[in-house]
Order: sequence, then C-alpha cells, then structure tokens
Amino acid sequence: MTLSIRTLGMLAVALGLALATPVAAVAAPTGPPVRIGSSLALTGPLAATALVHKITGEIYVDELNRKNGLLGRPVEWALLDDQSKPDLARTLYERLVTVDKVDLLIGPYATGSILSAMGVAQRYDKLLVHHTFGIPHLAKYERQFPTWAIGPEPGRTFPNLLLDALAASSKPPQTIAIVTDKFPSVHFMSTGAREAAQKRGLREALYLEFEFGTRDFGPIAARVKDANPDFLWVGAIGLDGNQLLEALKKIDYTPKSHFYLYPAPGPLAKAPEGNGALSTTVFEEHPPFTNGPAAAEFVKLFRARATTAGLPYTAVDVQAAASYTAWQLLEAAVTATKSLDDKVLAQWLKTNRVDTIIGKLRFDGPNNYGDDLSKVKQVQDGKWLVVWPKEYAAPGAQLLIR
Amino acid sequence: MPSFTLLAQSVLSGIFVGGLYGLLGLGLSLSWGLLRLINLAHFALAFLGAYLTYTLSTAFELDPFWCLALVPPAFFGIGVLSQLVFVRFRVTQFGSLLVTFGLTVMIESLIQWIWTADYRRLETVYGTASWRVGPLFVPVAELLALLTAAALAGLTWAWLRYTWVGKGLRACAEDPHIAAAFGVNHRRLALVLSGLSAAFAGVAGAFVALIYTLAPAQIYAWIGVVFAAVILGGLGNPLGPLVAGVVIGVSEALTMALTAPAWAPLVSFTLLILVLLLRPGRV
Amino acid sequence: MRRLAAPAAFLAVGLGLLVPAAATLPAFYESFLYLVLHWVALATSWSILSGFSGYFSFGHGAFFGAGMYATAMLATGGLPFLPTLPLAGLAAAAFGVAMGAVVFRVPRLRGELFALLTLAVTFVLATVVLNTRIDGGPGVYLSAVPLPRLGGSATGTLYVLGLAVALLTVATAYAVYHARWGAGLFAIHDDEDVAEVLGVPTYRYKLLALGLSSGLAGVAGGIHAMFVTYVTVAETFSIVVPLYVILMSVVGGARHWLGPALGAVLVTVLMYGVTGGQTAVAGRAVVGLTLMLVILFLPEGITGFMVRRRSNRPGAPAPRPVSPRPAVAQRRPSDTGGPPLLVCSDVRKAFRGIQALRGVSLEVREGEILGLVGPNGSGKSTLINVVSGHHRADGGRVLVGGMDVTGRDAHEIARLGVARTYQIPRPFAHLTLRENVAVAGMFGRLGHRRRTAEREAGRWLEFAGLADRADQLPAALNLHQRKFLELARALASEPRLVMLDEVLSGLTPSEMTDATRLVRDIRDRGATVVFVEHIMRAVMELADRVVVLDVGELVTSGAPQDVMRNPDVVRRYLGTAHA
Repeated sequence: MTLSIRTLGMLAVALGLALATPVAAVAAPTGPPVRIGSSLALTGPLAATALVHKITGEIYVDELNRKNGLLGRPVEWALLDDQSKPDLARTLYERLVTVDKVDLLIGPYATGSILSAMGVAQRYDKLLVHHTFGIPHLAKYERQFPTWAIGPEPGRTFPNLLLDALAASSKPPQTIAIVTDKFPSVHFMSTGAREAAQKRGLREALYLEFEFGTRDFGPIAARVKDANPDFLWVGAIGLDGNQLLEALKKIDYTPKSHFYLYPAPGPLAKAPEGNGALSTTVFEEHPPFTNGPAAAEFVKLFRARATTAGLPYTAVDVQAAASYTAWQLLEAAVTATKSLDDKVLAQWLKTNRVDTIIGKLRFDGPNNYGDDLSKVKQVQDGKWLVVWPKEYAAPGAQLLIR
Repeated sequence: MPSFTLLAQSVLSGIFVGGLYGLLGLGLSLSWGLLRLINLAHFALAFLGAYLTYTLSTAFELDPFWCLALVPPAFFGIGVLSQLVFVRFRVTQFGSLLVTFGLTVMIESLIQWIWTADYRRLETVYGTASWRVGPLFVPVAELLALLTAAALAGLTWAWLRYTWVGKGLRACAEDPHIAAAFGVNHRRLALVLSGLSAAFAGVAGAFVALIYTLAPAQIYAWIGVVFAAVILGGLGNPLGPLVAGVVIGVSEALTMALTAPAWAPLVSFTLLILVLLLRPGRV
Repeated sequence: MRRLAAPAAFLAVGLGLLVPAAATLPAFYESFLYLVLHWVALATSWSILSGFSGYFSFGHGAFFGAGMYATAMLATGGLPFLPTLPLAGLAAAAFGVAMGAVVFRVPRLRGELFALLTLAVTFVLATVVLNTRIDGGPGVYLSAVPLPRLGGSATGTLYVLGLAVALLTVATAYAVYHARWGAGLFAIHDDEDVAEVLGVPTYRYKLLALGLSSGLAGVAGGIHAMFVTYVTVAETFSIVVPLYVILMSVVGGARHWLGPALGAVLVTVLMYGVTGGQTAVAGRAVVGLTLMLVILFLPEGITGFMVRRRSNRPGAPAPRPVSPRPAVAQRRPSDTGGPPLLVCSDVRKAFRGIQALRGVSLEVREGEILGLVGPNGSGKSTLINVVSGHHRADGGRVLVGGMDVTGRDAHEIARLGVARTYQIPRPFAHLTLRENVAVAGMFGRLGHRRRTAEREAGRWLEFAGLADRADQLPAALNLHQRKFLELARALASEPRLVMLDEVLSGLTPSEMTDATRLVRDIRDRGATVVFVEHIMRAVMELADRVVVLDVGELVTSGAPQDVMRNPDVVRRYLGTAHA
C-alpha cells in the first residue's frame, strides 16, 4: 500500500514538473545562479550508467554550494533526460543553449549523445566538458574537453599498456584470443589490440566479432574453449562480459587470464567466475587514488548517496571518477579565470594542466586529448584493484595469473 | 574443421536459448492467436517477474524455484484484470498493441523506480551450474527452462485439444458467434486464457532472472526475436514458439560456431524469409 | 468547395510552420519541431502501405535505415548533402520495391506473416550493413559534411528539410487517399481477392504503395543522418522506428491520410516533451499511462473518433433523389443465337492432387442466361474461379469475347467485362456501400474516375434497393441485403458476362422472387449471365440453357426441361433424393 501511495505521489510530482524547467538547487552563496546544463540518459538502455553521473553531479553541485559556489554565486544544475536517444540529446542541448541559456555545459553519457551535444556546442561556440567519450579521433571541436583521459589514440596506447602488464607478469602470454562486440567505441579498441598483439609476436588463437545485443554466448564460449588462449581479450560493453564469462563457466572453462573492456563493473566483480578478470580504469577507490582529500571525501559521499538511491554497486570507478573530473575541470577553469566566457575558459584549459582525482590532465594534444591515464585493474576477492602500472597499484596488489 | 564437441555444444546452446524464446513466446502466442490481442506488455511482465524473483531470492532468501509458486499465480490475477480492461474498452487487435506498449512503459518505469536502472544479477547455485554428459556440458538452469517450456507448451496444447474448455477457446477464436451459439462462454474462457498467459510470463521471468543479468531496458531486447518465433510458430499454437524458437536459436548458434558470429542473424533470418516465401501456407 | 478545404488548411499549416524558420525563435523550437516532423514523415509514409492496404509492416526501420546509410555513405564520399536526399529516397524505394516484387508474388503472405517477413528483412539488412564496408562497425560520422543554409541556422535548415519531407509525405498520403488507386488500396485492405476480381491491379498497386512508402521513409532517413551526424547500426535499425510508427499511426488512425501525422505529433510531443531530469522515471510512467488512456478511450484513433462523430451528427447526408436507372442499351436477348462470349475448352484444375475440373468444355453465348448445376463438389465454383482468373487453370483454354485469357491476372479479365458474385457475400467491410460498389465502377470494364464511379454507384444501389443505405457499412446489412450488394457491385462495372454464385440460396421465397426479377433485368440490360444454383425452381424459371457438372466433368447441357428429364442427370444429381 505504501508503495502505491508513493507511486501516486511520484506521478503527481511528475505531472507538475515534467514539462517545467529543471529544478533549482538550494543556494547558499549569493547572486544570480551560475547555470550548468546537461542531459543524461536517465531512462532507456543507458540508464544504468547515467544514474552514476547524476549522483556524482548532484554531489558536486551540493558541495560547491555548501562552499562558495562558483565566483561567489550559487550553482544550479539544469539536468534533462535524453532517454538514451542521440537525436533527442541534440534537441535538448539546443534547448539548454538557446532557451534555458545556461552558462556552461557538461556533456551527456555515451559516445553517440556526446557527439550530438558536441555538434550543438560547436554551432554556438560553447565550451563542452564531457566525461565518457570513447572515440577520441571523432572529437574534432576545439572547445570540447574530455575528462576521461584515454589519450588521442587509446586503440594503440591502451593495448600496449595491458600487454606490458601481462608481459611483466609471472606467466607472459604466448597466445591471444580476441572476442569483440561490434559496438563502435569498443570495436576499434579491439582491432587496436589485435595489431598490438601481432607486433609483439603473440599468436592469435581466435578473433571473433559479434553483434551488439547478442544473447547466446554459448557458441562463442565453445570456440574460446577450443582455442584455449593464454590471454582472452573481450571487447565487452555492458553485460557482454558477464554473459560470456557465464557461458564459459557453464562449459567448465576458466580462462587463464581474461580482460573485459567496458564491463558492467558491479556484476563482474561480484560474480564468482569474475575473479581475476582484468579491465581498464582511471580511478579505483584505494590508494594512491584516494590519497587526496577530495577523492576520499567523494568516495564516501558517493557510497552514501548511491546506497540511498538503491544502487546495488556503490563503488567509485571510471564512470563516477570521470564524471567528477568534469566538474573539477569546470570549477578549476572558472575559478582561475574568474570568467564564465566560453572562449576564455577554453583558452585557459588548452594551456594549463588541471589537477583532478584521476591525475593531472592536459588538453594540448590532438583533439584536446593529453596523456592516456588508463590503468589496468583486476578483480581480486570480489573487488576491483589497480594492478598496473606498478606505481598506481593498490597497496600490496599485483597482477595475478592463474 | 571445427570439432564435434564444439558443434554439439553450440547446438545445445542454440536449443536452450530457443527454449527461452519459446517460454517467453508461449503466452504471447496464446493471447495473440486466441484472443486477438498483441500483448507487448508480456515482455515487461516477464521482467517484472524476473525482478520479483530476484528480490524474493535475495532479500527473503527464498529458493528461486519457490518463486515459481508465488509469482505466476499472482500474475494470473494481473492477466485476468487486464483482460477485464480489454473487454470493458473493447480493445481491438492493434489497439491492444498500443495499450500494452503504454503498460510496458509503465512497468519499465516501475521497475526502474524500485530496483534502479543498474544491473541486477541473481547469484544462485543454478546460475552457472552444469552437468557433464560425455564431452558436453548441460547447463542446469537452461535445461530446466527448456523442460519447463516444453511441459507448459505440451500441457497447453493438450488442454486446448482435449478438454472442453480448450475446444471452446479454439472455437471462439474461429468464430465467437457460432461458439456462443453452442453455449461457450467466451468471456470467462478469455479471462482464464489471459490469466494463464500472464502466469507464463511470470514463469519465463523466473528463468530470465536465473540465467541473465537484469536491467529495465532489457525488456525491449527480446521483442524482435520472440515476435519472430511466435509468428513463425503459428499464432495460437502452443508448441509453435518453442519449435520456431529452437530453429532460430540453433541456426544462429551453428552460424556462430562455424563463421563470424556477427553474421549469425543473417543466416537465421534469411532462412526464415525463405520459409515464408516458399511455404507460406505451412507456417 | 469542401474538397478544397482540407488541402487549403493543410497548406496553411505548412506555411505557418515555416514561421519558426523565418522568425528568430531559439533553435530549440526548430530542433524540437524537426523531431515532430521527422516522425510525422515516418508514420505517414508507413501508413501509405500499411494503413491503407493493410499490409502491416514491421520493417519500416529497414527503409529508414537504407536512406540514412545511403546519405551517410554518399555525403561522406564527397557528394553534396542535398543531392543525396533524393538518392536516399531512391535507394530505399529500390530496396522496398525489390523486396515487394518477390514478396507480393506470394499469395498468402499477408497479415502477421508479412509483418514477420519485413521484420526479418530489417535484421538481415542490419547485419549486412554492420559486417560490410557500408559501416563495418565504427559507425559513420558526418560532421565534415557541409550543410547548405536554407533556414537561418544549421538546425533551421534541417527543420526546413524536415518540414518539406513531412509536407511531401502528408500530401502524398492525401493524394493517394483520394485517388482512384487509393480506393484500390482500401479494397485490398479489406479483401484482396475480391479487389483483384473487381479489376484492381493489386500487385502493381501494392508495389507502388510500398515504393512510395519506403522512398519517403528513405528521404526522412537521409535528413535524419545529418541531424544525428553520427550513424550507427545499433541506433538505426533498433526496434524503435517500426514500433513507434505503428503506435503513432494507430493512435492517430492508420486508415486516414492525416491520422498518422496527428498520432506522430501527439506521441512525439508526449515522449520527447517529458524530459525533466529530476522526474525522468515518473515522467516516463506518465507517458505510458497517457498512451494507454488515449487508446482506451479513443479505440479507433483520433481520426476514427472524429470521423465517427461527424457521421453521427444529425442531418447526415440524406438519400439522394431518385434518378433514372442507368442508361444502358436495352437489348433483347437473341435467345440462343448470339456468338459465344465465353468459351472454355478442356479446362482442368486440381487442388493438392484432387481433380476439381477434369477437362470442362462449354460455350456461353452472348445474351443468354446459363444455369450451372451439379451436386456439391462438382466443380461449379471452381469453374467460376478459373474463368474470373482467381485460380489459374492447370490445362485448357478460356476465351472471353474471342480473347484468350488463360493464365491472365484476374484484374485483366475483369477489365474485359467479366464480373462475379460470391456465394457467401464478401463486401469490403470498412467501405460504405457506395464505396463498395464504386470500386467496381473504377476498376472494372468502365474504368470510371473516382467521382463518376461514386455517382454511378448510387444508381446501382438504387437498382438493388439499397439506396437509403449508401453511406452505411456492410455490417449494417442482413444476408439478403448483402446478396443484393454483391449484385450491385458485380453490375456496377456494366460487365458483359456476370457469373452469379448461388445468389438465391438463403433467401425467403419473396426475396427470391425479387432476386429472380433482378437477374432477368440484368440480362435485359445486355449482359450475359452464368448462374450457379441449387434451387431447381429458379433454374427452370430463369435459365435459357442448363449445363450439368459432376465430379469436375460436364455431364450434359441443353434446354432446362430437356436436361431435367435426362435420366443420367436425374441419377447423378437428384439420384439420392429420388432413390
């Protein structure tokens, strides 16, 4: 009964607010608010991850307003729901720029929608800070700033980092199997991995591409088992990784060492067969990442809010950290330049290094990408731990190979 | 040349995923074929069932199979209720597509509101357990899903064929007026059928929870292929979705085992197109 | 004047929609309206095939996607954007027509089977695009493609293009809806076999409708490629497009030219208007609820509801004043002396190995009334089906007026002046009586223009005593009236040969007297009549000559009295009764 009353209440609120402009946050600092506009995929297929970005943004805005806001003015986050649709994302960013007339923009979630937002920003010469863009060579606008620091050529740099890590392990792989989703932001990373492996003389035991949305991983698992590689690279996005891993488990095969590109972090860490799984990250909640006070505080706040929101996985990782970094970037630029002018801010970001929870970012490379700050992480005892490069490894952790 | 084990294991995998298509398609086929209602919300109900199974199994530590005793009966009620609404408003076949789409969106929102959009995985002993048969492995949960699908389809088939109620239903689907003349109470039969169909969604949901990681938007991921299985199997034919599902599943699995997996839909759906073009009457 | 009102209002709305582009409204409005118009174009283009002809397609995403990828490939290949749009339309239309050319040849591929087929085609196309050089996986990015300025801004340009394609699509739907071949599509929707037999070139019309439908969707796709700028397989070929166009059309009313557009406006504004970030989930629930309620309370869609309200208004069209009977040359039958109008020689037909006709040869002379009798299963109806072209003969020849029509399509035979009725009446359920009859006038031998056919239809309804019901649907008729509707429809093409399949069965004696008079009337107007009948009294009374069939063979023929006295006939046909 309580449930239905709560539902009714929600519906009533929704009726009132659905078409209204986004809600203002409570203001402690004074003056007209600085308005920051975003859309996120709050409903639809991408909603699982977008929620992380929503929580992160809310934490950051609340923290800003608890302190001194931006330039002494309160900060208001105009957040819209793009329903996981890139075409709607375009329209909503046009709304944010031309109707809501927000001061600053933060990008939406996922490659397609970010490209939509980037197009809008470009037409209005707006600054766009975005947090999870996967295909750097498509980011051609000069005032877009990626905070997920994967460098201009992640397809080259990251596979090499990973293969370095494996080469330095107790059992360097001789053979590799690459199984990849044909999802755009994943596919080019996998072809990059293929080239890198070839250059290093690893024998390719298997190369398979599958369609986004594949449900039956049984045959793919059977082929992986047949190939029995030393190292399995899975170009996974979302649930692909878990599904393949479960399919492997069902035919009683445990890969010797296995990597998942963009998995759903929670389910993979919690699944028993996920143990030893490798992935990429820029932040995990352990030292040295949590050495700074901001990061430590954020991890705590995120956990609390995510728990309240009912999220099953409450750890801060790539998504939340990249999201947090976007806000840090804006705050740093605005504070340093004392300006909300897109041109001034962009100029400053181009020429300065910004200290963030994922490291020092620079934007002077191709397409405003700087260093590839990716790390290699591994599931150990149900937790993600960074294991490579060594200076970022969790205390005492090292890459384990079965 | 791929090994025999690889091929056989892949065929098994295809059969099992086909079993799931059949399980999801059974209720859909019954309501579409016998009540002329295209119930899109069937998928949403199945996922609601999956989430309920998830919660009952994790929060209340019930064995997932006990959920089968709870969720489907409750869903039977939902089915009856929805049929009452359909009858009250005289919803037509295509109207039903729309009404149930609205319902789907509402259930999706409800799921997202209660369970959030983040992934939920029911970790159970069944989830990844397998039995070894010679060189092959038979996953337990999938096998149970297949057996359940076969049993439900078989029982429904027998029910429609041999009992008075079932015959009445089929007669109503052919011609409600004539059936009414023979004293068949279409209204009540339709309620039963709609209830059953929803209950089957609950059963399918329990297995979806056992086998897959859940997310609200996954509701839509199954529509295309299950629709294909339902139509290919012949609307209203309880055995159809299972048989057609297995055919689609196996043809895809074999393609994935033999060639590039990304080409799999090409083979199964080209096959389907050829069947339609060459034997339209036999579908 | 009233016929001009709709296009005029439509033009005004179109011009009015140009205002946002001309005025300096924020780009958001153009952008949002673009999305609305985009769906208007997609939903309306879908309904040109699926709403009008009833070929329910689940494959609109394939045509949309074909256009999207055509523009993406051509524009990134160096072609300027605007010329890619017609090419995108052509590519999608070519794909659609190629598919239709095969699919529409398969007679039973209708309803859900057609829906399934089109869904499968979408999956196949998506797989091909994903795995070949068309896309190959990375998606196609169009940011480097220059966009010509038609509106004030880039978005304004896309808005103008979106408006143009939406107007073009709705105008096409309007034209088709009111055109002769639109009437043909609606006839196909209700009963394709009957439509074909009445002279509707069903294959060609369906192909044309599919070509228009897919081509327009392709153009909309081409524009949308530029709107999203980043084209990927997963987004393009998702279930969203086919599902949404169906929902929109059903909400608006798929059988009306404007229905899908109204539905698209409603659904898009609802879906894309509710975007509050704090209330996203609840907002979505409200959208779902609204959609549900709309269709629960407007089951026939918005246009269906409006049309019904209008027809319920008091003072609905009164029956037209009685006008003289159709001026057809009155010609006395030349008894049995005319030249043969219909010649069947050695006609054979088998169904799954069962011989329904084992080489039937007969002649029907101009102006005569020929009774075709025989026990059940003797092949009478099959013979009618073969002559009308509904079934193709396995062997033998059929000549109508000296022309060999063996193996011709039914609509071609109808145009030579052959008409028939069905034993169980098969009216077009969603067309009014007048429209039912007009189909025959438009597509039969006469090939009237639509307006002429509808005017003439009124007269034929009067002839059949149904004038006061001209604007009702066939569901309002009883069996006797339906039989007369069948007659009116068969006669409206002023055929040279009318084949009546048991028009008298099921009628009361007084109704039968009416019908008998009607049949005589028909002959007096110059038509030749072949009628299948069980009721001997009527046969004896009406027929100039009788042909007896049994187990697919001709037993005997001759004057009614002679035939009925033939002991062989008595044994075969009446044997059981007299045994």
